Amino acid sequence: MEQAGIAHAVIAPSDEFVTVYNEQGNRQILELTRRYSEKLSGLAAANPWYGKKALEQLEAYLAEGLKGIYLHPQRQGFLLTEKIVHPLIEVCDKYGAVVYCHTGTPVCSMPFQLANLARTFPQVKFIMGHAAWSDFSGYDVFPAAQQADNIFVEMSCGGKGLARRLIDELTPERLLFGSGYPRSNAQVEINKLKSLNLSGEIENKIFCENALKLWNIEL
Amino acid sequence: MKIIDCHTHFPGKVLGAEPRPITQIRAEFERAGLCGAWIFTVDGLRKEPAKNNDILAENTRNHRDFFVPFCTVNPHDGADEAVKELDRAKRQLDMKGLKLHPWLQAFSLTHPAVLPILQKAGELGMPVIFHDGTPPYSSPLQIAAAAEKCPQTTIILGHAGLDYLYNDAIIACNRLPNVYLCGCAVSSEYLKKIIESCDINRIIYGSDGGFAEGIIEHAIDRYVQLGLDEAVRQKIFYDNPQKLLPTRYKNG
Repeated sequence: MEQAGIAHAVIAPSDEFVTVYNEQGNRQILELTRRYSEKLSGLAAANPWYGKKALEQLEAYLAEGLKGIYLHPQRQGFLLTEKIVHPLIEVCDKYGAVVYCHTGTPVCSMPFQLANLARTFPQVKFIMGHAAWSDFSGYDVFPAAQQADNIFVEMSCGGKGLARRLIDELTPERLLFGSGYPRSNAQVEINKLKSLNLSGEIENKIFCENALKLWNIEL
Repeated sequence: MKIIDCHTHFPGKVLGAEPRPITQIRAEFERAGLCGAWIFTVDGLRKEPAKNNDILAENTRNHRDFFVPFCTVNPHDGADEAVKELDRAKRQLDMKGLKLHPWLQAFSLTHPAVLPILQKAGELGMPVIFHDGTPPYSSPLQIAAAAEKCPQTTIILGHAGLDYLYNDAIIACNRLPNVYLCGCAVSSEYLKKIIESCDINRIIYGSDGGFAEGIIEHAIDRYVQLGLDEAVRQKIFYDNPQKLLPTRYKNG
């Protein structure tokens, strides 16, 4: 992070901590965000298939200060259009927490599915992770994001042309820089956006301002 | 560092590309640091493959010291016609490889014309590069199943699984010696896993360049930031493509 010049990062559990061992993953994320509070904020994982336990898990960690939920329908085994995820969104609503969702993987994690969820919960803010990279990116991301203005788009992993289109067509206010780590690489993602020669104002929104506002982070 | 880009497009009227004269495209590619590029038709994937093969051949005719043109054929035209066009593209147009895009061209790998086309490509010494990584028509293992039946044909997964299916691409590459991986549009850390897991002699670099300016630099950066050994980079960027399609590049 420091090497790439990143002042603050929002981190989420991965792998088995997203799917099965939510408690261990969330505990680790919380500890890290407390130990490095100036540099890290965190998201909790709660697999909806755990039912009531998942709700308790999410509520406990949001109460402790994590900023939202990290959903990964492909890994966790549900469709974004299934109602099984609704109670978790309701908990996020109660805490004013943000829903970050991995997107781009058919058949469970596609842009219009997220848009449907976002329209069902218009008062909750959603993030379309990785701008649904790969082959949805040039297409469904745009009409899906236009269906629901409570969707923000995180820009990691996709190409430079996609980044340009997102800025031009969705407005910079709805976009978030992401390193995509450990899938992509922070320096690659920074270089991608820097090479677009954006104005200072737009850069500041995408790299910083939008995220601070969305997650209520103070640097 | 000499770089051959094994996955570029001659921009046409589809997929939001910006059509530009070939001289301009070459200048852009050279500015981005390439010494050569394998280039594919885009419009030909949608319609009239023969006509678009002619267009690409004509455009690259005076640039064979930089561009290596690939033709396309459509399995829906039937095995006879597709094989005939492949033969024509090789013998009359001197096109060097075949590009297939099962998603855009809307064919399944189980289409009866696919194996005859792949076998013919092998006979003609034309590597076949596939779009891959996109279900339901373009998964690495679907392509691998066809590759297994044509062991004399070089089959390249043009996107090495395109992120979500990179693991399947690794399996295909490790199982079949005629399968190569082109890491085009793959995220950096997945690229690293591919490079660590597969025969380094069967990995090549590609960018999707040609659709718009600036794509190539970003694609190169995905490798550069991984801090690979010089010897590894040399194979991916230059030696491996040269072994597949030896070419006398002006600057390479």
